[in-house]
Amino acid sequence: MTLRVLTVDDSRTILAMLHHTLSNAGFEVLQAEDGKQGLDVLMSHDVDVVITDINMPVMDGIEFIKNVRASGQYQSLPILILTTETSQDKRDQGKAAGGTGWIVKPFDPDKLISVINRVVH
Amino acid sequence: MSDLDDFKATYFDECSELMNELEEQFAAIEGGERDADRLNAVFRAIHSIKGGAGAFGFSGLVGFAHAYETLLDYVRDGRVEMTDDVVSLCIRANDIVADHINAAQTGEELDASYGMEEKQRFDAIARGQSGSDDDEWSGEIIEEFDIEFTPVRVDLALADEDEPAPLAAEAEVDAFDAPPMPIEPGHWEVRFTPFRQLYSRANDPLLLFRELASLGEINVRAVMADIPPLSDFEPFGVYCSWEITLFAPDLTEAAIREVFEFVDGDCSIEIVPLGHVVPPAARAAAPAAPKAAVSPKPADLLALTEDEMAAAPRPVAPAAEPVRPEPEPPASEPELSALSFADLADEIKATEPVRAPAPIAAPKPAPQTPKPAAAAGETGEEGGNRSVGVQSIRVDLDKVDRVVNMVSELVITQSMLTQQMDENLRARYTELVRGLEVLAQTTRGLQDSVMAIRAQPVKSVFSRMPRLVRELATKTGKKIKLETIGENTEIDKTVIEQLSDPLTHMIRNSADHGIENPEKRKANGKSEIGTIRLSAEQAGGNILIIVEDDGNGINREKVLQLARDKGLVAADVTPTDEQIDQLIFAPGFSTADAVSDISGRGVGMDVVLSNIKKIGGSVHVRSWTGKGSRMTLRLPLTLAVLDVMLVKVGESPYVVPLSSIVETMQCSGATFERVPSGGQVLQVRGEYVQVIDLAARFSMHSTKQPDERFVVLCESEGSQKVALVVDDIIGQQQVVIKSLEENFEQVEGIAGGTILGDGNVALIVDVQGLRVTHIQQKAA
Repeated sequence: MTLRVLTVDDSRTILAMLHHTLSNAGFEVLQAEDGKQGLDVLMSHDVDVVITDINMPVMDGIEFIKNVRASGQYQSLPILILTTETSQDKRDQGKAAGGTGWIVKPFDPDKLISVINRVVH
Repeated sequence: MSDLDDFKATYFDECSELMNELEEQFAAIEGGERDADRLNAVFRAIHSIKGGAGAFGFSGLVGFAHAYETLLDYVRDGRVEMTDDVVSLCIRANDIVADHINAAQTGEELDASYGMEEKQRFDAIARGQSGSDDDEWSGEIIEEFDIEFTPVRVDLALADEDEPAPLAAEAEVDAFDAPPMPIEPGHWEVRFTPFRQLYSRANDPLLLFRELASLGEINVRAVMADIPPLSDFEPFGVYCSWEITLFAPDLTEAAIREVFEFVDGDCSIEIVPLGHVVPPAARAAAPAAPKAAVSPKPADLLALTEDEMAAAPRPVAPAAEPVRPEPEPPASEPELSALSFADLADEIKATEPVRAPAPIAAPKPAPQTPKPAAAAGETGEEGGNRSVGVQSIRVDLDKVDRVVNMVSELVITQSMLTQQMDENLRARYTELVRGLEVLAQTTRGLQDSVMAIRAQPVKSVFSRMPRLVRELATKTGKKIKLETIGENTEIDKTVIEQLSDPLTHMIRNSADHGIENPEKRKANGKSEIGTIRLSAEQAGGNILIIVEDDGNGINREKVLQLARDKGLVAADVTPTDEQIDQLIFAPGFSTADAVSDISGRGVGMDVVLSNIKKIGGSVHVRSWTGKGSRMTLRLPLTLAVLDVMLVKVGESPYVVPLSSIVETMQCSGATFERVPSGGQVLQVRGEYVQVIDLAARFSMHSTKQPDERFVVLCESEGSQKVALVVDDIIGQQQVVIKSLEENFEQVEGIAGGTILGDGNVALIVDVQGLRVTHIQQKAA
């Protein structure tokens, strides 16, 4: 079964790189450019894991995660936060909002896949 | 490799968009708009630039952007005030970021010290603000995690039934202290007690075990001692913990901890090399083993009195406690052993209403956030102009251009078909003619729609100008304010890209040569602050971009003198004021008497003209001595298709842009007059218009008698008209512009070429260019 990943980031560069890495690893990739779009995608697609940036326009990653967790059906959906090495506080906020784990940017492709495998059934 | 290059291309693309965004935001921030949205947008832009730079290892950029980002973060959360000083520093920093991006793109090395000063200032400002704040802040984080702790004890006693269950930390006989096991190197004991938030964040112990199993051989035992009797069982309570024996030689504790990286703070983890004895003191100090509340074992529970039971702490966080109906106080609870099924059912019912739909605990923080956005979308708010979902798509420009090209070809084919319908056919096939008319209309609509895809607001160029003006003002010591109007006017993307340089030159020119210094302005009774107005508007099939200033106007004497010195105007020719003004665009002309740092670079305004011509536009300047000047760029709405009049000069077809044609007439009815300089003028309703015979101009042989020829009266930008004499007028049509420069070379007086419906090539007459070269030819 192909696992479906929703990637949420306002940076096209990051989205492109995630897409490349993930689709090469056999994942199906969905994209959204902010939290609001991410929620919209979740409403219409079954997703196995979410990777989201924190700093985004319209709806940031923290709000996005809170919204996802607030709706009953997504309580067990793994959500990975994209953070930089230095943004420990963001990572913590993301976790407090309900984030499952995190991926440190810039990410190594192998590491990215292993992190996903760590949170996906 | 090529993938990486692709990503880089995407990244640099994105960077240039972000830099534009920064310009725009800072223009507003400078104007005093320092609201959170803007500051956030600025932060995000720098953050994104940094993020990508990290991915490609542009370390200089990462380092600088990081310091900048940190400052912005402080500004954003109010720890640093966005004073004018900070704004200037940021604007300077934007430049440095841009330079770093440039360097990364071209692969050049920037000096290591570049931007160091600014970076240090960032650090200094940020340091000045952190200090005590930092402590306070990290305290919040700890609190945040503490607050959700569900104190569930790791109880190893279950393994040994004889071992009394410890009830309180102080009194307990710790299982870890109990019988030392034989030391087996490479064996680890991991005691893992999840808290409820671990589940609410979608982590799963099973996955952790799977991960541990990848490190070595594992043996997992569930610790179920804390599972309460059914009557106390709370659906979302977390009762189970695990102990794992891991056999993995050469494994460090850190490697094991890494498995639990994501759940740090959401569980209690103890990792002990097997057989290693942990002193009680050390254990007590270990923060990861909360012991405040200890849940009693079932056996103990049975032994407790009712009061004790009521007082016994529950194994779950109070907030998660199901709300029980008041009428059922603990005192009335029957003894567990006597619990009937009926009672049980009551219990479950009482608990049910608070049960969340999902099997896993609901997150404790009451979500005050708005309902998932899609819900709002589904209800179809009348205000929402579109339904939920992605409202725009990103399309590769190549793809759009392919469509544009195909539509252009379609336009040609359509006009070819129309051309071949002679009177005979028209009379015979009326249905076909009607069909062709519809086709023509649809084609035009299609063309407009396709062009609209390529259109972008001029804002992206305009937004760079405030900053330019500010810099110019500083450099020249003048006071200048910039007004922009109509920045949402949309133009073809390619035009926009070509617009930046000309606009920069024009504004520089205005600031340098137009606007006077404050003293002079005051002396002339003007406001000390000079104004440059930049506006964009659509006028018919064109976009007008106008740069106006209220400065001194063009110094015509000086311009004419210079033009004569440079041989651009012959000594015996007396150009009109307007012709003089227009001279500033002549190649090689630069009014800067002393080459200034700003506009006198020798490649002044002629660059403007050639750039604008390249995109099928024209430039016109008007000046009022002592009052100011106005430069108007007339640009085509679209690059690809032009409405033209097809004419014949000799045997060759030429096309004249329809937008510049005022009227046409037969030569027989026109009055030509010779002027002393050797040229001809045409009198049109009392106005004298310069005559250019295209046959003579392009060295063609006219096939007709002078009286049988035609005059095409054109008006180039501004009021100056010119009369083109041609041999025949064929008709109007649309043509697709093909660049001459790309396919041949630049030709004076010709703006480009086109392929006609019958396959012939026609040249597009550059009316403006003709006039300029005409003056110069006369001068030569």
